[in-house]
Amino acid sequence: MKYSTDTSGIFTRFDMEIEVTRRSIRRISSDFALQAIADCVADGDEEKTEEAVKEALEQKDPLEIIHEGLIPGMNEVSRLWDEGVYFLPQVILSSDAMMAGIKLCEQKLGKPLKKKGKIITHTAEGDIHDIGQSIVNALLNADGFEVINLGTDVPIDVVVEACLAHKPIMLTGTALMTTTMSAFPKIAAKLKSMNFNIPFVCGGGAVNEEFVTGFDLGIWGKEASQAPAMAGDILEGAHWQELRSKWNG
Amino acid sequence: MKLSDKMAYESYADMMFGTAIKPVTTKHGLVIGGGFVIPEIVPHPRPGSEKTLKTLMREFERANFDALERCVLVGHPAIVIENEHISQMTNNPDWGMEITIQTAKQIEEFKIKYGLKAAYRATIADIRRPDRVNLRDSEATAKVLESFEKCAEAADIISIESLGGKEIFDYSIIRNDITGILFSEAILGGRDMEWLWTRIVDIAERKKCIAGGDTDCARSNTAMFMAGGFISKDIPHTLAALTRAIGAARTLVAHECGATGPGKDCGYENPILKAITGMPMSMEGKSSACAHPDLCGNVIAAVCDLWSNEAVAYHNMFGGTTPAVFAEILGYDAAAMNSAVALGFQKEFQACLVNSDRYRGPHGFILSPDNAWHIGKAIVENSRSMYARSKAAAFKCAELLLGDPNLRITGYEKESLLGYLKVLESLPDEENDFIDLCMRKYKNVNGFKPDSYGLQ
Repeated sequence: MKYSTDTSGIFTRFDMEIEVTRRSIRRISSDFALQAIADCVADGDEEKTEEAVKEALEQKDPLEIIHEGLIPGMNEVSRLWDEGVYFLPQVILSSDAMMAGIKLCEQKLGKPLKKKGKIITHTAEGDIHDIGQSIVNALLNADGFEVINLGTDVPIDVVVEACLAHKPIMLTGTALMTTTMSAFPKIAAKLKSMNFNIPFVCGGGAVNEEFVTGFDLGIWGKEASQAPAMAGDILEGAHWQELRSKWNG
Repeated sequence: MKLSDKMAYESYADMMFGTAIKPVTTKHGLVIGGGFVIPEIVPHPRPGSEKTLKTLMREFERANFDALERCVLVGHPAIVIENEHISQMTNNPDWGMEITIQTAKQIEEFKIKYGLKAAYRATIADIRRPDRVNLRDSEATAKVLESFEKCAEAADIISIESLGGKEIFDYSIIRNDITGILFSEAILGGRDMEWLWTRIVDIAERKKCIAGGDTDCARSNTAMFMAGGFISKDIPHTLAALTRAIGAARTLVAHECGATGPGKDCGYENPILKAITGMPMSMEGKSSACAHPDLCGNVIAAVCDLWSNEAVAYHNMFGGTTPAVFAEILGYDAAAMNSAVALGFQKEFQACLVNSDRYRGPHGFILSPDNAWHIGKAIVENSRSMYARSKAAAFKCAELLLGDPNLRITGYEKESLLGYLKVLESLPDEENDFIDLCMRKYKNVNGFKPDSYGLQ
């Protein structure tokens, strides 16, 4: 078979044209130990992060390690991802590394670190496609939120009960199939009838803007990566209508 | 189970759309892989229609009728209708059965009234969630097998998109972990498929139905969709391509257990399977843009026998309902390929399909007939274990990706690929040693149940 070497009239490799030159993380601390921790987080190396944190805990306050080593390291990873330098797995591995480091610091503190807010995540009843939810969980964890992960195939009543019990600032729902996303308006209606008007961010393969904005509380999440910024808006006081108006439409 | 140790096709040059070395004939008399490409339409019910059996039957009755009617309207001579079960249809095996019987009747009516040749593929939903139930012994497993029994009575073809290994795969793919991907596909997926497909083939033989095939959708398509297009940043395309090659060795198990094809449409690994088995395969590409984008819209048709749309939700378009519109589109695609055969231009037509996407990205490249054949050859030449052949497929895939200067890949994609190769090279030679390594590494992954795979 003949293969054409000139493909310019057939397709355009936009990925080659926009390839970002690889950049490393910025220097975030003049302290050697804290910089080393940030580097380990940015490398996504859980084992080395734990070693570096254990070593630093002999000299430093756990909160200093968290706020001046672990979190700044993760922030650098988020920046590089935003800029198109890092891919998702690097963010997930870095999130795992940061969480492992925070766990060690919490043990030393004797209490859990105060989180920005609680968020409940779930995948719709009848649906087992939860990779999107896993990504949302990792990104929210990485951004300092407490994630209550209800898992996959979660019945409507279980979601509602969890919201009443935990009082989250935001609920997320993931669905790949059109026949499972029909659970979302039912959940929203139940929450609304109880006057529990939290933003309900819905996303996933079959889920579309028209569907989600067709019921109260619903905000369409186009990408998993939007979740931390949406949660950040809620912390700044945005209610579900404002969130919808900013992210949808 | 004997692992394949030879290629059905002696050369990739012999592989062509519409023709398979081992065609199959359905109970309605439709020959698949016998010289013509046939459209395969997959309608999906609207949200809310799953409420009751009555509403769901009505939805499928309309959707399937619309597709059959459009074929007659525009003169498409043959069609396969596939209904992929939504969970309600497998959770209530009678639902799946009723819809199968209803569709078989519709097909018969169109045959009597117009002479339209059609067949029905029932794809059972794999409701066995690896992280929740024992894949071999659970209520969900019993329902899956009962659904196969009931649907096989009236369906022409039965299939499934099996989920074994998905819990480890999902954990691994977002962590850039090629070891976990290999474990989930070769060991977990392979073992689950052998267990499941032995039973499916037994049912199909008893019910005089065709055991079609499986797909690596739950793993390789997840990777391909995450790799996305040219501006996506979820995972590298090179990782998705390696996953596809590894996944081919897994999907092949269905045919080693006795499935005869046609393979499932969303199995983008099917060109590799066709090269090894000589069986007819269903494929999807540009025609499945209604369900998802991909970078191999035309090349994937190069050796197809059925040409499918993956899934389209039932609703109205200007030109009619979606099943009608997509049946028309698929049928015209098939007509173009069949015209090429009639004129003796099939090689030229195939070259156009391949050149459209061969260098568009890693997936299109490795699924070009020549490269798909070479990956298949690596699989059959390493038939001593599932692990050996899956790893060999990955090495061959990487060798091909790095070996053609016309395939451009970004610096990061290349660096990632070299990293995966380094990891693969560091893995043990023997399957048992690999399993020991992975059992230690993944024993604490949420929901992983070694018992589901006959592992301790």
